[in-house]
Amino acid sequence: MEGAVIGQSVPRLDSPAKAIGKADFTADLRFQGMLQAKILGSKHAHARISHIDTTLAERLPGVQAVITAKDAPAVRYGVYLKDEVLLAREKVCYLEEPVAAVAAVDEDCASEALALIRVEYEPLPAVFDPLEAMQPDAALIHQDSSSYKAVFPSVRYGNVCMYTRIEHGNVEEGLAAADLIVEDTFCTQPVHQCYLEPHAVVALFDASGKLTVWSSTQQVFVSQATLAEVLQIPMTKVRVINTYLGGGFGGKLNPWLEGIAALLARKSARPVKLVFNRLEEFMATQPRAPFIIELKTGVKRDGRIVVRVAKIIGDAGAYADHALGETAQAAVRVQGPYKIPHMRAEGFCVYTNKVNFGCYRGYGVPQAVFAAESQMDIIAERLGLDPLAFRAINLAEDGDLLPSGERLRCVSIKETMQTAAERADWMEKRVNKVAGRGIGIGNAYTNTGMLASSVFLRSNEDGTFQIFSGVVDIGTGANTILCQIAAEELGVPLEDVSIVSGDTDMAPYDLGSIATRVTYDTGNAVRLAAMDVKRQLFEIAAKRLEANIEDLEIGHRHIYVKGSPDKGVTVAEICQHGLYVEGGPIVGRGKFLGVPSFKTQPGEGYPLDPYPSFIFGTHIAEVEVDKDTGQVKVLRIVAVHDLGRAINPLAAMAQIEGGIGQGLGYVLTERMIFNEEGRVLNPTLLDYKVPTALDMPQMEVVILEYPDELAPFGAKGIGELPQICAPAAVANAVADAIGVRIRELPLTAEKILEALRQDSV
Amino acid sequence: MAKQQIRLKVNGETYEILVEPYITLLEALREELRLTGTKKGCDLGDCGTCTVLLEGKAVNSCLVLAIDARDKEVTTVEGLAQGGKMHPLQEAFIEHGAIQCGYCTPGMLLSAKALLDMNEHPSEEEVRAAIAGNLCRCTGYVRIVEAILAAAESLARRGNG
Ligand code: FES
Ligand code: FES
Repeated sequence: MEGAVIGQSVPRLDSPAKAIGKADFTADLRFQGMLQAKILGSKHAHARISHIDTTLAERLPGVQAVITAKDAPAVRYGVYLKDEVLLAREKVCYLEEPVAAVAAVDEDCASEALALIRVEYEPLPAVFDPLEAMQPDAALIHQDSSSYKAVFPSVRYGNVCMYTRIEHGNVEEGLAAADLIVEDTFCTQPVHQCYLEPHAVVALFDASGKLTVWSSTQQVFVSQATLAEVLQIPMTKVRVINTYLGGGFGGKLNPWLEGIAALLARKSARPVKLVFNRLEEFMATQPRAPFIIELKTGVKRDGRIVVRVAKIIGDAGAYADHALGETAQAAVRVQGPYKIPHMRAEGFCVYTNKVNFGCYRGYGVPQAVFAAESQMDIIAERLGLDPLAFRAINLAEDGDLLPSGERLRCVSIKETMQTAAERADWMEKRVNKVAGRGIGIGNAYTNTGMLASSVFLRSNEDGTFQIFSGVVDIGTGANTILCQIAAEELGVPLEDVSIVSGDTDMAPYDLGSIATRVTYDTGNAVRLAAMDVKRQLFEIAAKRLEANIEDLEIGHRHIYVKGSPDKGVTVAEICQHGLYVEGGPIVGRGKFLGVPSFKTQPGEGYPLDPYPSFIFGTHIAEVEVDKDTGQVKVLRIVAVHDLGRAINPLAAMAQIEGGIGQGLGYVLTERMIFNEEGRVLNPTLLDYKVPTALDMPQMEVVILEYPDELAPFGAKGIGELPQICAPAAVANAVADAIGVRIRELPLTAEKILEALRQDSV
Repeated sequence: MAKQQIRLKVNGETYEILVEPYITLLEALREELRLTGTKKGCDLGDCGTCTVLLEGKAVNSCLVLAIDARDKEVTTVEGLAQGGKMHPLQEAFIEHGAIQCGYCTPGMLLSAKALLDMNEHPSEEEVRAAIAGNLCRCTGYVRIVEAILAAAESLARRGNG
């Protein structure tokens, strides 16, 4: 029955509910007596709080609770470094950092109350530029950062919240052996995930003191653990639920809003809803960290890369958060899918007085790949080689080493690049150039599979099955794909499998829907659970049919002896037999942790574990640049990805197309502009410039399948990679079109005009 | 400000509600009528998630005051399906994989409906222009455009047949 459900482009299971407007997102929920919350943000980017007076706000009719840091346990939390607080204590480190919060009968009343809270600040010198923040005499943003707990052997000093150095080979030897050494510095901008559903939380304590939180989070179990930590209550007293999520892309990992809503719910003894508006989204959530990336690459005259020295400076903003992990990850991924025998990478993640930066689809890799792939073209040009030919000389192969100690496996970059080049007519378009047009390539790889997943799988009396998983379907189709995996393994039709997900009380632990991991990790766990269930079904059926387990087969909702499909019993009968005769229902378990076969290279302060597997892709972009206006029009993108195996090709293609859309925004138009007070000057979807349907190019998506034997049915996932490849390809195409290289994202019309002007003098 | 009594005609039903004069149609639909299919993405007219039909025209309901919609016909996503049967646009969105997170979907569907009501055979360019005010962060718009074109075709077939 293999292949019956896997590889089928079935519509997502949740799409009918979404199409008729009956899918409840967090903000749609309402409970009896529910209050609305608002957060008071800091008026300074860096200041000591000398006094907070909430008495007037508390007296306002309709106000049910006002909280400040005093109402929260003195706990610092964080993914890598425990430096964050729910509400500012003693000092604020960025503009709009939460200082106090109010729960009131409605939003207007809550807003009115905020205006009545008096906060006295003593402003401190603020620092917004990471390079300045790294200077020894820079204002210190965290005075006692050495007291913070880190979850890894951490190197910190001054405003640097992580320093890491990792290497392989011998860089000095490599530099001495190189015929040409090319040095470049690239800069990337802060960008916001701009999921369309703003952050939302509803928090409710029941009579037993148990907290239930509905949250727009990608990671219900991480939210549960963090809530228990920041509220200092046991995890059994915390339930986190996500019903539907309106996009996240890495922007909905951090559970601080939940904590604030929970404190308000506790203090008011009422359900509390907290929904961000778009302005708050731009001012006080966790956008992608901006990077400065210095690359020094040495090559032989024949085009072989021998050495790279990379320095990545990541802007953490006020708290280390995911920017720390992103900086480390970028330091490794900046190698690109190439063989580099000698490589040293240093990462510095630096505090500044801006909003705490987090991650956005790619976890540091889009930044790194923009730089690395831009430099590949620069070097190719210096060597007089075609960009594709130069890459071909250096493509990575199975077993190639990364400075983190990881060994690349399932490497398919040669295949993705070749396919892309053919589909895009690379040679022809490079040779017969059209004025004002350019073509560019973006090769990349990234990791998949990280940390733990577990699921339960239960049979029902009618022969149907239900998966219980801790993932959240954030719009990728994860739930549908997991049902497909279970159905395939069980040998039953897809409609016989359903899933309960996104609820910590209903499922065993899963790290959640991040980092291109669900298909690989949760998919494996589901498959193992299905195998477990199938084994139990067969055990019962073997007795009933007086046959050997090995001789049994499942199909058409029957279990039968191979070769005699008419003599079987129905799956439903076996499920009932298990339930009533064999001592209870059939419940399968599956757990998975992708443990790689290699160790992290000894280096300094590297916070990440090695990954078990990698995905590869190539995009080729064609653009047209109007030399009078600087406007870039992307004409076509050919996107080729090896994702191991497409469980649901329709869902995979759709995810790739969405990634391309986001990648175009990143490379061409999107940026959060901060002024000298740390304020975002373009905090609306209009001024920030998210691409519209009119900005999209023709897309040609090609899926290649080179199964990974460690993945479920070979399927590795696709999530982040499209957004990693597309910006690099477009940046190279723009450079090809205008003949000048811009090393700073985004490639706005102004920058292009300026580059053209300078080039012509 | 004193609340005002207004009559709203939504999806063929008439509601009498009391609202402050500054309440938007979006808030009235979501909070007063509990029709939460219409989503709020920005409250500023920038994203289109709140799109509904007002007298057949697609509008951002966050930019319309509830009292200005008094006595007018409003159609929300909840009113698209008729007699338990989905609108061809809804079917096409599901079929073509045009729905990922689904937050933009209700607004998209209504912008698309306004287009198809006016123009039975839109070109791809016309479809893109019609939904240019509806942002979608998940799909790159590819499958949404495809779905709308497919729905146009199936509607046309239905009309002829
Ligand atoms: S909510 Fe109305 S346009 Fe965004
Ligand atoms: S499907 Fe998520 S915003 Fe459109």
